[in-house]
Amino acid sequence: MPISRRAFIQAGSLAMVSLGADPLFLDRAAYALGDLRRGVAGKKTLVCLFQRGAVDGLSMIVPAGDDWYWQERQRIALPKEELLPLDGMFALHPRLATLKPLWDRHALAIVHAVGSPSTTRSHFDAQDYMESGTPDRKSTPDGWANRYCAHAREHIETPFRAVAFGPQLPRTLAGSAPALAIDDLRTFGMRASRAEGEQRLTRAFESLYEGAATGLVASSSAEGFEAIRMLKAANPTGQPAANGAQYPRGKLGTSLQQIAQLIKADLGMQVAFVDVGGWDTHVNQGAGQGQLATRLDELGGALGAFTTDLGEKLGDVVVVTMSEFGRTIKENGTGGTDHGHGTAMMILGGNVRGGKVYGQWPTLAPAARYEGRDLAVTTDFRSVFGELLTGHLGAIDLASVFPGFTAGNRVGMFG
Amino acid sequence: MTTRHLAATLGLVLLAAAPTAGQAPLTTTDSARHVLNRLGYGASPGQIDAVVHEGIRRWIDRQLAVRDPRDPGLALRERAYEVLNTPVRDMVVMHTDQLGRALKAQAAGADSMRREQLQASLREQRAAGGKKELRDLNGDLLSVTLLRATDSDRQLAEVLADFWTNHFNVFIGKGFDRAYFADYLEHTIRPNVLGRFEDLLIATAKSPAMLFYLDNTESVAEGTDMQARIAGRPGGAQHRAQRLTPRERFTGRSTPPRGQAAGRQLDPAMVERIKQRMPKGINENYARELMELHTLGVDGGYTQQDVGNVARLLTGWGMDRRSGFAFRFLAAAHDQQAKTVLGVFFPAGHGEDEGLRLLTLLAENPATMHHVSAKLCARFVADDPPDGCVDDAVRAWKKSGGEIREVVRAIIYSPDFWAAANVQSKVKTPLEYVVSAVRAVAGEPDSTPRLAQQVARLGQPLFQRTTPNGYPETQTDWVNSGALLARMNFAVALAAGRLPGVTVDLDRVLPLTSDHAALVDGVNRALLAGAMSPRTRQTILREIADLADPAAARSLAIGLAIGGPEFQRQ
Repeated sequence: MPISRRAFIQAGSLAMVSLGADPLFLDRAAYALGDLRRGVAGKKTLVCLFQRGAVDGLSMIVPAGDDWYWQERQRIALPKEELLPLDGMFALHPRLATLKPLWDRHALAIVHAVGSPSTTRSHFDAQDYMESGTPDRKSTPDGWANRYCAHAREHIETPFRAVAFGPQLPRTLAGSAPALAIDDLRTFGMRASRAEGEQRLTRAFESLYEGAATGLVASSSAEGFEAIRMLKAANPTGQPAANGAQYPRGKLGTSLQQIAQLIKADLGMQVAFVDVGGWDTHVNQGAGQGQLATRLDELGGALGAFTTDLGEKLGDVVVVTMSEFGRTIKENGTGGTDHGHGTAMMILGGNVRGGKVYGQWPTLAPAARYEGRDLAVTTDFRSVFGELLTGHLGAIDLASVFPGFTAGNRVGMFG
Repeated sequence: MTTRHLAATLGLVLLAAAPTAGQAPLTTTDSARHVLNRLGYGASPGQIDAVVHEGIRRWIDRQLAVRDPRDPGLALRERAYEVLNTPVRDMVVMHTDQLGRALKAQAAGADSMRREQLQASLREQRAAGGKKELRDLNGDLLSVTLLRATDSDRQLAEVLADFWTNHFNVFIGKGFDRAYFADYLEHTIRPNVLGRFEDLLIATAKSPAMLFYLDNTESVAEGTDMQARIAGRPGGAQHRAQRLTPRERFTGRSTPPRGQAAGRQLDPAMVERIKQRMPKGINENYARELMELHTLGVDGGYTQQDVGNVARLLTGWGMDRRSGFAFRFLAAAHDQQAKTVLGVFFPAGHGEDEGLRLLTLLAENPATMHHVSAKLCARFVADDPPDGCVDDAVRAWKKSGGEIREVVRAIIYSPDFWAAANVQSKVKTPLEYVVSAVRAVAGEPDSTPRLAQQVARLGQPLFQRTTPNGYPETQTDWVNSGALLARMNFAVALAAGRLPGVTVDLDRVLPLTSDHAALVDGVNRALLAGAMSPRTRQTILREIADLADPAAARSLAIGLAIGGPEFQRQ
């Protein structure tokens, strides 16, 4: 089913800021250089980090005070002495040590036993539901973050409003509102020999696509050419990491660094999205060392560097981690865990009320388990996403973002 | 007889000429282009005329009649790819040796930088001695895959090889799959691409690559004591683990002493770790994906209970790690209790046969026919597969007992395949885009994996999809601004002859001329089968206007046409 994308770019170098029904026109180039007047919505950014493969939330945020944790995980429980205690019940995985200072200064909140009401244990269905924001409804054509972008009244029209880092646009950002997919900022644009000329190629292809492309190909290419122009003016990749931040090598570190660069370049990015895989730990997931620890090490390192790099700007930025479901409470026969239900999410930055684990803890006791085996879900993931949109991005009405969903109790991460 | 059937029996010529409601009928040239696009990787110079000359129907039937996907015309060139003649056990040895070197370096306390230096120097030594590293062999595999897609005359078989490799996806980068994957592609997937679905399913279920990728080798009946089993044998675990090299620990086979490595005492923590890692129960990873992805589909009517029971049923499905790395059923690891799957009772004690019975049951389930047929229709006809086409495919499936050849034939001869709305409507995947572009400019891939790296750069690194669902098929997955820009860059570089990994021969596309109008008309005929829009023509003319050098003008015109919107579709 083709998604008709609004071709929002008309012509010229003007950006449209729509404040309700009253559009203001600003010089886009000046805007790109960070010259935008303060106070206009759009300077807040939400960074979504999707842990694809179903992270073991019980290893990431360990319910150390729950005896069942120790009982069910003889081989993969974390060594007690290495855990970083958060409160009386929970502790942080030692490889996430870079996040402990954020917790201590109340910039990191956790939601535990969070997840989807859907019973599916399929990665692909569960990811689909989390991204569409409509559990158990497969026909939803667009993603929740895209619907937010399509319906929010106050925003700046810029191709950078929603950006995914990767070769493909994730479902979360698919839909009628423009969204960019950037694999690597440094190579985004036309590469030409001297004879061909970068300008010539850009002009030629822009004209070809304007003339003959249809549907998604047309809107995507138009957004691409607009983005090239703005990147040229702003040159965000020229910015080195600040405050001595050291991003880990690899895709995640690079993507988060480039997200920080776009944030600092003030290009109007409201939603950024990045994927990080490798969480499907069916075999030998390890404890303080091993497969999962290695993945968490990269995650912690990248998030640590990101927050350091942003410095005070972190006040305008919230990062949320998400994963399609959690893993079995009991370790399986092969030193790993199989597909489960509830998991944990981390929310850091902005004006989040951190230093607290949110959500009701259902306990790991057999009687409290979902289908007798998994961590029960006590907080719907849409409650968390909804509060991020209202509490951080200032959304007012979520009816079109999460159709048919009414949050029960407030999670309360933003007061 | 329904209208659909009547249409099918009337045959292609009538069909192609029959006007579809409100749309212009396909010309013979359109039809030839369509089959080359969908049943192959696009037309090479002059091929549309050749197919028209041969007869479209005859060309299709020739493609469908293929028994062995190997094109004899490529045999000589394939011989240069060592990977095709390397036994899987040799590749396993290479992998374990590599692991051993890494462990040794680690044990010697080398830091990561030093380890990398060590690895690099070892690689050089091997290269100097004419020996290939595992990664070079797997690079061969990428490069031969691009060669076949580009140059094989058996185009449909190559398209189906890609389809089934993707349907039964295995990530080549997961541990020992680095060693098993080549065998998987050559001996599990390729011989079956036009055969019976059930045979293909069983072949994948028994392949070391799949058994390892989805952890079935690790899944044992609850309560199986693998330690005791091994310890119970002469020279059992306790004794052996203390002097095993990584290769031996993996293969369970001792090798002649090599230098100081043999007889070296492993520290007790290591021995403990090995013991800890012995499987103790079931792992439901393969069981779930077998039903969700390979057969029934996620809505195919199975429950969590079924997943667990399938996992129990397939306990013991493993491989012989001592010699040939072929499938082996390990009775001691098999769950001896009775099981029920999808309401079907499996009495206790039938060992390997339980699994075979299960796979047949799954292969013959209507949900499987529907799920797999819909995927094939999405590949060959339209992103959103038309119901009529899926019905035709399912009917052929039932009638032929799951002969893929007949299912694909039904799809090709279904009216939906020829409907004008379904022609030039699908956006090419990165693999389809790269190969069709290379074919269009009479390009020849070299023997390096560099052309495959271009496919990777466009978002589809071959055999490296980590998740078992394989790469997606629809335009919403592949079209985005970054990807389109990358395609434009690829096209210009390809036509200019500066793309690493491929040589192009533009003289075979069209002759040099200083008449720009004639040049652009030639590009239109050669690359777009005459479908170039007036606006595209105008733009290309404008942008090459200042290029006096006919070669430069030709390259740029071709680059723009391939990078432009028309060529993104098929």
